[in-house]
Amino acid sequence: MKRMIWSLVMIMLVSTLAACSGGNNGSNGAATNTKPEATQEGNQAGNAGSESSYKDKYDPPVTISTVWGIDPELKFKNNETIENNVATKWALDTLGIDIKTLWSVTDSNNAFETKMRLSLNSGNDIPDVVTIGNAQLAHELIDSGLFREVGSLFDEYASDTWKNAMALDENVWNPYARDGKRMGIPVLDYAYNHDYLLWIRQDWLDALDLEAPKTIAELEHVMEQFKNNNPSGLKPNEVTPLSIGTKNKLSTWMGDPSWIFGAFGTLPEQWNVADDGTLEYGSIHPGMKEGLALLRDWHSKGYIPQEIALWDENQTAAPAVAGTAGIIPGPYWMSGWPLSDTATNDPDAVWKPYPIPTGEDGTAMRHGTHYTNGVTLISTKMEHPEAFFTYQNYLFDNYADPKEGSEFENGLFKNYDYDIADDGTLLRWEDIPGGYVNAVRYLLVRDGARIPDAQMKALMNLADGKEPVTRLEKEVKAAYGLETPAAAVVLLEQEEISYKNMFTGPPTPTMNSKLDYLNKIELTAFNEIIYGNKDINAFDDFVAQWKAEGGDQITAEVNEWYNGVK
Amino acid sequence: MKRMKDWPFHVMIFPSLLFLIVFSYVPMLGIVISFQDFKPWLGFTGSPWVGWDNFSMLFERKDSAQVIWNTFIIAGLKIVFNLVVPFVFALLLNEIRKAYISRTIQTLVYLPHFLSWVILGGILVDILSTDGGLVNRFLVAAFGIDPVPFLSSGNWFRFTVVVSEVWKEFGYGTIVFIAALANINPSLYEAAEVDGASRWKQTLYITIPSLLPMAVVVGTLSLGNILNAGFDQIFNLYNALVYEKGDIIDTFVYRTAILEGKFGLATAVGLFKSVVSMVLIVISYRLAYKLANYRIF
Amino acid sequence: MYHKTIPYRIFNVCNTILLLLIAICCVLPVWHVLAVSFSAKAAADGNLVSLWPVGFTTVAYEKTLNNPVFLGSIWVSLQRTVIGTVLTLVLACLAAYPLSKETYAFRGRNIYAWLFVFTMIFNGGLVPFYVVIQKLHLVDSFWVLVLPGAVNVWLTILLLNFFRGVPKELEEAALIDGAGHFKTLFKIYLPVSLPALATLGLFSIVFHWNSWFDGLLYLNDKTDYPLATFLQTVIVQRDMSSMSFNPKELELLSQTTVRASQIFLGALPVIIIYPFLQKYFVKGLVLGSVKE
Repeated sequence: MKRMIWSLVMIMLVSTLAACSGGNNGSNGAATNTKPEATQEGNQAGNAGSESSYKDKYDPPVTISTVWGIDPELKFKNNETIENNVATKWALDTLGIDIKTLWSVTDSNNAFETKMRLSLNSGNDIPDVVTIGNAQLAHELIDSGLFREVGSLFDEYASDTWKNAMALDENVWNPYARDGKRMGIPVLDYAYNHDYLLWIRQDWLDALDLEAPKTIAELEHVMEQFKNNNPSGLKPNEVTPLSIGTKNKLSTWMGDPSWIFGAFGTLPEQWNVADDGTLEYGSIHPGMKEGLALLRDWHSKGYIPQEIALWDENQTAAPAVAGTAGIIPGPYWMSGWPLSDTATNDPDAVWKPYPIPTGEDGTAMRHGTHYTNGVTLISTKMEHPEAFFTYQNYLFDNYADPKEGSEFENGLFKNYDYDIADDGTLLRWEDIPGGYVNAVRYLLVRDGARIPDAQMKALMNLADGKEPVTRLEKEVKAAYGLETPAAAVVLLEQEEISYKNMFTGPPTPTMNSKLDYLNKIELTAFNEIIYGNKDINAFDDFVAQWKAEGGDQITAEVNEWYNGVK
Repeated sequence: MKRMKDWPFHVMIFPSLLFLIVFSYVPMLGIVISFQDFKPWLGFTGSPWVGWDNFSMLFERKDSAQVIWNTFIIAGLKIVFNLVVPFVFALLLNEIRKAYISRTIQTLVYLPHFLSWVILGGILVDILSTDGGLVNRFLVAAFGIDPVPFLSSGNWFRFTVVVSEVWKEFGYGTIVFIAALANINPSLYEAAEVDGASRWKQTLYITIPSLLPMAVVVGTLSLGNILNAGFDQIFNLYNALVYEKGDIIDTFVYRTAILEGKFGLATAVGLFKSVVSMVLIVISYRLAYKLANYRIF
Repeated sequence: MYHKTIPYRIFNVCNTILLLLIAICCVLPVWHVLAVSFSAKAAADGNLVSLWPVGFTTVAYEKTLNNPVFLGSIWVSLQRTVIGTVLTLVLACLAAYPLSKETYAFRGRNIYAWLFVFTMIFNGGLVPFYVVIQKLHLVDSFWVLVLPGAVNVWLTILLLNFFRGVPKELEEAALIDGAGHFKTLFKIYLPVSLPALATLGLFSIVFHWNSWFDGLLYLNDKTDYPLATFLQTVIVQRDMSSMSFNPKELELLSQTTVRASQIFLGALPVIIIYPFLQKYFVKGLVLGSVKE
């Protein structure tokens, strides 16, 4: 008995000691952690005078610290990690830049945003450079004062290729401007990536001897025929003539219904330029009422999913893949995914891209894609901000749109995103020994370097029947579906109907307190109308309520911002 | 009998208490951020104090009352049914005399607990669809009624949420009662048998009274969830048509605080929920002690 | 004997049928996931699979079983579950025993009990917790999966209620024999509480097996993730619009069938353990040990 007590006391003593030493470690850690901070400040002060130290390669190497939100699907091979891989080796060998990882997290369930916010708490591990995709977080970080003005750095150090790419749309800086200062470098993305068009079952059109619809009225006829006279022999209740969903948003990336309102002169859930030059919220435009009436009619006729309010983006793809949907609105690259699978379920299925149909007066609108999908921030404590530009300049000059015969003509890193067999053939995807790894995601800035119009140019070349020779042309051919070049042509034919959300600033004060409620009543009102639960005049009630509950104030705040950047 | 010294009791509790202090009580100090506009880079001491502002964010919205009521009613129904269904199921299972059948059923009903709501949500949307979903096809064929809008009408949504939750969890909840059944002293039944008591009488006078303390304990502790209506489930199933009856505190906090990084608001809402739970648990504890002279914990 | 009577027999047959039907309802979703995991990808993406595989193939399982991250995460989960459960059970037994005493035997018990329960209800939220984890240097350590949740108050309270059911005569006899409280706990209470311990063990195992948030937030490297965290990163749908994928990548992301196989394989160990623990839920165990 006594022995037992003793052993228990011992166990507890040990655990107490362990806990105490844990506490000690904690305070030790805090103590040592304050030091680098102090020295960093000292260094910064010392460096202030000699800032024009831009080099193409640094010897001795300089360090850039960063943090990573790693895509859950990103693979690693050859025992590499995000801290130490082919891209970090390349940066060190080629540019003399040592990429140091402060922490990383698999970016799922908002883990990156959460961890980024939490990590600021300790105050000591602010990354030199961090790329943020989430607009809300980006605004928060900019306002934290931990990151510096970057516009002047960009003007001083960025290469011409990068500057030209950035100049394609002057508005890309707007979201990150504060009092005229540019606080973050926009991450450029390909233009039109999330613009959309209609994918229609060509085999059904042919069997019914129909032309592709050019107007909403023609579209209705096509849907009616698809449903009641289905060429694949489906019963009317088995067909989804137009696969769209409204679960999360009316303006989204696949199965998108917003163009229907475009035919009536508005785009929901974004800020459009009104006739008087001010910004107005698209969802309260009178055109919405007509669009909703039309959707309500289609819902009652069974042209759109009966449970449309439950359908999210991925759900809209299911009937399209199954071969029971006739039309699905979506991006130009959808023939690569998910529509490539339709043929397995219905061997006769052929999807073809078509333009957005117009309203009676010829009006058509679709929501446009911003040229940017994130922002890179630079810490106020970074010792060598110019090194970041060395890194990015190299990628913009050599990787963004490399010509035939250049270093990156086939891809980024051999044996990662491409490989070359002994006989000289180019290997991709599953053919790469050890498997495909999208090494672009190992780079400091997401996607490496993208020039907004480069991808469309490559697609146009392919559409003209040119053989792929540049990296982008080869990649597009290998990774995008067969119909993608043709879809790109369709997309550009309607270039003038693409309207971007004109408000890109930080959330206004009223948005912070009221926006969630306003979004809620908006989506509820619209879905109730579509389902026929409420009269179409419920739209007017919604507009009145929206304005009274803070919408008018938000409109004023948005326009105040707009006047500042216009 | 001489009273034993109670120092070993303190020693036995000490390790657990240590863990609780480190991982619960120390972090609990962070509740102060309910009263701050907390910014991580300013820390606990540097963030501006905003008094009760975070609480008014929760209470002053037009839909505040609705959201809190939705939470309360959905969570309340779940607590009741998650207690009653496993209790009854355990009693029924107790009557099955062939051990292998009983064990098979136990194992099978325990399975849904291991599917996450992301997956089950997708399955439910499919089978409950008004447009050819399995359940509605059956109802229409069997009873000739109109398809039931299980997920797209507010009242039905609450029904669906509660039923599907109970269906997912009752098998897991049954385990406690099965274990409690095993703890009943068999001599009680033997004596009843000798007295010629019917099975129904045995259940009524032996089994149920023996299980009641456990049911009271489980029920009281689950009051801690009175304002947790099940985020994962609702988040995966709700849609604009049911916001009025289905939007709950946790989905509201997710949209307005978690995604937006408003830690102060999130903590304030947490504190509100805790206070409500605490009050209910204290009441329940007192009632059990007064009425049945039983200390739940 | 009641179970020989006709009404009871009728009841018994109906009862068995009813419970079997309910059990079947509970199996269907799992069965569906299983069917998807054995289906062809296109059929799964087209939502064409209900309860039988369409275009039967085992490709998904080949991919899953060849995925070192998946297999590694099972190993992490096993470690976490075993270590975490043992720790939780030891702490729960030690704490539940004194708490199961009445106030006249242990004067401080009510204060302790409320101290325990209070932590179940109140918490400071994510921020201060993260700070504590960080100060203890638990970030990116395996122990972050085990230590913070080591004391499970819910299970402790459950156990203390089971302990109250232990016949008082047993304890008194032991105390009269001169045994101390530790000996009484280990030699008397634990052996007669096997059904309770099996229940607690099961709950603790399931808790550890299913926890994912701690792994996601506090571990840096995906290869250190427990299974539940790994699965969570795989099954949650992502907003593709905010990302810049090419269609080939999206195709890799939309592996419905592989996901289904991972869900199934991931749940398999905890599903299997239940029938194994069921043998401790046998009636009469308590009495049996009393007679010993």
